[in-house]
Amino acid sequence: MPRPLRLIAATFALFLVTACNSASSGGSGPSSVRGVTADTIRVGGIVSMTTASGYSKKDTDLGARARYDRANAEGGVNGRKIEYLGAEDDGQDPARNLAAARKLVQQEKVFAVSPMSSVTFAGADFLDAQQVPTVGWGTLPSFCGPAHLYGFNGCLVPTPGGTLNQTWPEGLAAVLGGARGKSVALIAGDNDAGKFGIRTFTQGFKAAGFQVPYAKAVVPATSMPSDWSAYTKEILRSGPGGGAPHAVVSVMQTPYNIGLFTALKRSGYKGLISDPTDYDPGLLAKDATKQALDGVHVLLQFQPFESDTPAMRQFKADIRKAAGGKDVPLNMHMLTGYMSADLFLSVAAKAGKDLTTESFQKAASGFSDTGTLVGDRALPKGQKESFGCGALVRLENGRYEVAVPFRCYPPIPFG
Amino acid sequence: MGDLLGFILSGLVSGALYALLATGLVLSYSASGLFNFAHGATAYLCALAFYELHSGFGWPAVPTALLLVFLVAPGLGWGLDRLMFRRLAKVGETAQIVATIGLLVALPAAGLWVVELLERAGAPVLPAENQFGLPGVGPSPAVSWQPLDGVGIDSDQLITWIATALAAAALWVLMRHTRLGLRLRGAVDNRALTELRGISADRLSSTAWMLSSGLAGLAGVLATPLLGLSAHDYTLFLFVSATAAVLGRFASVPLAFIGGLGLGVLQNLVAGYASFAEGITGFRTAVPFLILFAGLVVLVRRRRRAAGTAAADPPPVEYLAGKGWGRRWGAWVVAGALLGTAFYTVTTPFWSGILAQGLAIGLVFMSFTVVTGLGAMVSLAQATFVTGAALVAGLLMSHGWPFLAAAAVGTAAAALLGAVVALPALRLGGRSLALATLALAFLADQVLFQLGWLRNGDTGWEIPRPVAGPVDLGDDRAMGLALVLLSGVLVALLTRLRGSRWGRAMLAVRSAPEAAAASGVSVVRTKLLLFAVSAGLAGFGGVLYASYNTRITATDFTAMTGLVWLAVVVAAGVRRPQFAVVAGLVFAVAPHLLTTYVTESPHLPVILFGLAGLALANDPDGYCAALPSRRAARHAVKRGTVARSGTAATARAGGGRSAPLLARTVEPYAVGAAGTAPGTAEGPGAAPSVRDSSDGHGGAPTALGSRGGQGEAPGALELNGVHAGYGGAPVLRGVDLVVRGGEVLVLLGPNGAGKSTLCRVAAGLLRPAGGLVRVRAEDATRDGAVARARRGVRLAPEGRGIFAGLSIEENLALQLTAAEDRDAVYARFPALAARRAVAAGSLSGGEQQLLALAPLLQRPPAVLVADEPSLGLAPRVVDEVFRLLTELRGHGTALVLVEEKAAEVLGIADTVAYLAQGEIAWSGPRSEVDRDRLAEAYLGTGVRR
Repeated sequence: MPRPLRLIAATFALFLVTACNSASSGGSGPSSVRGVTADTIRVGGIVSMTTASGYSKKDTDLGARARYDRANAEGGVNGRKIEYLGAEDDGQDPARNLAAARKLVQQEKVFAVSPMSSVTFAGADFLDAQQVPTVGWGTLPSFCGPAHLYGFNGCLVPTPGGTLNQTWPEGLAAVLGGARGKSVALIAGDNDAGKFGIRTFTQGFKAAGFQVPYAKAVVPATSMPSDWSAYTKEILRSGPGGGAPHAVVSVMQTPYNIGLFTALKRSGYKGLISDPTDYDPGLLAKDATKQALDGVHVLLQFQPFESDTPAMRQFKADIRKAAGGKDVPLNMHMLTGYMSADLFLSVAAKAGKDLTTESFQKAASGFSDTGTLVGDRALPKGQKESFGCGALVRLENGRYEVAVPFRCYPPIPFG
Repeated sequence: MGDLLGFILSGLVSGALYALLATGLVLSYSASGLFNFAHGATAYLCALAFYELHSGFGWPAVPTALLLVFLVAPGLGWGLDRLMFRRLAKVGETAQIVATIGLLVALPAAGLWVVELLERAGAPVLPAENQFGLPGVGPSPAVSWQPLDGVGIDSDQLITWIATALAAAALWVLMRHTRLGLRLRGAVDNRALTELRGISADRLSSTAWMLSSGLAGLAGVLATPLLGLSAHDYTLFLFVSATAAVLGRFASVPLAFIGGLGLGVLQNLVAGYASFAEGITGFRTAVPFLILFAGLVVLVRRRRRAAGTAAADPPPVEYLAGKGWGRRWGAWVVAGALLGTAFYTVTTPFWSGILAQGLAIGLVFMSFTVVTGLGAMVSLAQATFVTGAALVAGLLMSHGWPFLAAAAVGTAAAALLGAVVALPALRLGGRSLALATLALAFLADQVLFQLGWLRNGDTGWEIPRPVAGPVDLGDDRAMGLALVLLSGVLVALLTRLRGSRWGRAMLAVRSAPEAAAASGVSVVRTKLLLFAVSAGLAGFGGVLYASYNTRITATDFTAMTGLVWLAVVVAAGVRRPQFAVVAGLVFAVAPHLLTTYVTESPHLPVILFGLAGLALANDPDGYCAALPSRRAARHAVKRGTVARSGTAATARAGGGRSAPLLARTVEPYAVGAAGTAPGTAEGPGAAPSVRDSSDGHGGAPTALGSRGGQGEAPGALELNGVHAGYGGAPVLRGVDLVVRGGEVLVLLGPNGAGKSTLCRVAAGLLRPAGGLVRVRAEDATRDGAVARARRGVRLAPEGRGIFAGLSIEENLALQLTAAEDRDAVYARFPALAARRAVAAGSLSGGEQQLLALAPLLQRPPAVLVADEPSLGLAPRVVDEVFRLLTELRGHGTALVLVEEKAAEVLGIADTVAYLAQGEIAWSGPRSEVDRDRLAEAYLGTGVRR
């Protein structure tokens, strides 16, 4: 090795050994007032907008903007206006998710990130380490545990030793007139997530009193079957006496559900069909989806857009305003963004005039309110389990109708 | 039974789509040798266009579909062929694979960008996200019937079947019953020979790409109701249909088509009956990739030797050869020092983080320099090694292991995985290997990384930054600096590795596996080791990358990530490990620079990235090496020109080495009556003209030495001072030859004298580096093979100049369009007539040679260059062949017969030339050939006097 190279290497190595002691403590240490000025609070968001799979959550941004706009119109939080930077697009890419989190904190110097809604949350550890309050859709385990991360309707991933949300089994029991003697078939995709879903819902439905004769994570998870007969045949023979079960519950995404439900109906299935993803008024715009989902009971963990409560009227008005006075079709991503912003605002308001990360965390640790669009909120309970509220809607004649109204159910232990 | 029938019928739906895609793959592959990873993206683009035009603009479904399938998609294929594929056909396989991977991401992004632009312009487009249950060509929602109990079909399925059947029938008619189809099949069978017959393979390749894209478009439109608008799903669908293309060996359209149908059925049957595998999470998901992998290993195995372990891919010329340490490394050391210093001086925390991330991913990218740069094998499974190593390390760290130990075990685990992935590499090469590694990567994602204890759900494992004594890498700057040092060490190690005994062994295996094995290098061990080292390196880099992220989850690096990585690295260059560091930094930094300074649109950077493939067509070694290697090439060319013009000048001045020889041979060597130049002026097919070859050589001066003489009767084929060679190695050093119509010139010479090179120059397959080629007095030096053939020069290449896969009738029909011409051939050769439907490859060697020559008798060319026409034939057949050649001479054709063995061929020679060491050692009339001269020429002593 030539001498200059040796010199450089040695210098760098020495630097590494000596300089970093100070760096590790002082380096990018969080400032307690990062993003907070006398009259503004700077907030960013991270949302999957463009993806190769054609799935996008970009309306989350609109929802959040609607909520922040109203807050600002009402005078802000304790006299400070919210400076919402809009959402960074992470493209469902973990590397971009982390880069977005770093950009918001290190470059944009935001106080908080809300909303954060994606299928990946690689930035979670960074945001928590930098003590950035973050509110988002708690479908990922990162929203369950880390001190600074909050799911807008709680942590939605049950952990062993934690609790299980019973909205779905209880709701279906209400539709079927009780769970006793009723059988439910559960079907999911053939991967770890599907298997986990089957495990949790099997326990949940059994606890509610259902029989679960069929519970399988068998559908190819990355290439959708063009033919569902292999699955429907088995399901339709799984019920009592080799007949059809009373209900078929799918824990899969919309395109899969469309195929499965269409096949079930073509096979003459007359029982109840339910899934947790297909509450999207946009689906009604197409005849194929309208027909496939007709009669299906969809679980949702917030107040249905069809319900007529003051909070829902306010939501619709805010969205219309943020969309430039146009009537845009509502979807759950708007609500995700809206309620993420809402939870942040509510906690920040409680933290008082002296807004710091510490005061925010302190305010969050005992926060609770009731009657919101996602039901009764309570922290830090919401960092361990879901708020436990939900409703069932039924698609009938091209319209969603509330089948089981929005309410909160007591959770059961999960193990 | 009803179940089975139902599974089979509905399996035929996805089967039909697979068949369409696979057929397109085979068509485009066989026309240009390119496996098109972006084929699914083309289908997606058509689906997107169909959706926007039909649902957005409200155009009627069927005309829109027809427009897309018959106009837009073929247009896209044509454009891509002209812009990209045609040029890529000339560069290495890695660059080809990478360029189409670039397209795979660029095409969908381009489509979405257009939608975005249209939307801004106020066009009635609909958003392309979250669209489900899209209408297809038929009624929406689909109408369904139940013809049999338990067997249901709907209108979408029916339309798919009918459209596919129609496409299959149309394709069959086109390929079997049209002239275009015949030519296409000819080009598939033997592309070079098609060109020698004057048929432009480039144009055929355009046609094939148009057909291929049209089929992709059809698949896209038909699949819209099934797949919706997910570019990802279309690409996955394509990978699965690659299985069917493998089944058709990338050459047989019917086999690929049937394979596609069978694949759909098989997949359905497995889904229906694979209850045995319920315990294995991900098994059903992985079924298509299991089939792909098995198909590759089983099917390619049969042609093990032909497929070759490595794609006989010699390493490129070293542009830094002979440069000093400072020239090689100076700039890199300075760059590294600046980067290291920057962390503590100028960069903001955000940019420190981004740079550290780039360096970390650069470590992973270095693994490509080993497997692809050194070993010339394309691995699409590098992301698997990264995930595997990081998951193992994370698992161990969760049990309290220290970072270094966990990283070491993770690296070892990745190396082990690498050895497993290497197993197919032992018998596959090129695109087959790339597909096999891709299949394994998907299998790992869908089965291995679904193991609960390994992946720990969606939470994954925490991998904290390493802290050892006073060194704490928790700070991005420290992490960055440590990575700079580590990159330097690894670059040095890899560079040393390349120059080591083992590195040389790898180069040997890569260039010539058989030769390497013969000289005691174990091909198996070398390849296993290569993959293991590369995988270990990827794994090690992966652990560090994960520790930059402080966590690893099983979905962080998917098989598709690996595809994109390969493209990023190859675009920068895989020849040197330091290029990988550059690639990593660019990969991390470029997106942020683009969004900050160039465009807000998320699609434009992706499009730009994809178009990097275009640059590869010009600089296959990547952008890092583009400038220096271009400069080196320019220098080499300059040196070469100087040397060559020197030779030419001396030759002209009469002082060159060959000058005395010329002077000696000019006088007696004169062929053909002055001014007659029989037949050639009227072109092929002209009436046989009077020949006087037998009775004298006293006419015009010939070729050799006739440079000075203007206005003499031109030869049918004339080479003047031709220099030619391969990649800077000269083979021909100033060859002069003239052959006239109705004359047979026999070119003799020992092995390696340059005879075949001369044939290639004559046929236009090789462009001379200097000198002139004239055909019938016209300068044809710059002609390609097609243009040369159209001027009337035919090459009957060494071996048999026939299309082995086509029937006798088809072989004839390619050259003789008129049925009466073919009938005349059959009348002359009854043996061919009796077997006109038989594949030409099944004929005996003699019959094949007759088949190659027979059409020429009907349509005599101006010049026929025959390379070893008697090679491997029985003496009786040789007589027959020579009789045919003599007959051709009678028709006025000028013949150049190249032979190694002189005995028989001298019987029909008018003149003889000896080629030795790239120069004409002697030439003259047959009568002057004697044993001594023959021996002298063969020994090469004629030149080096």
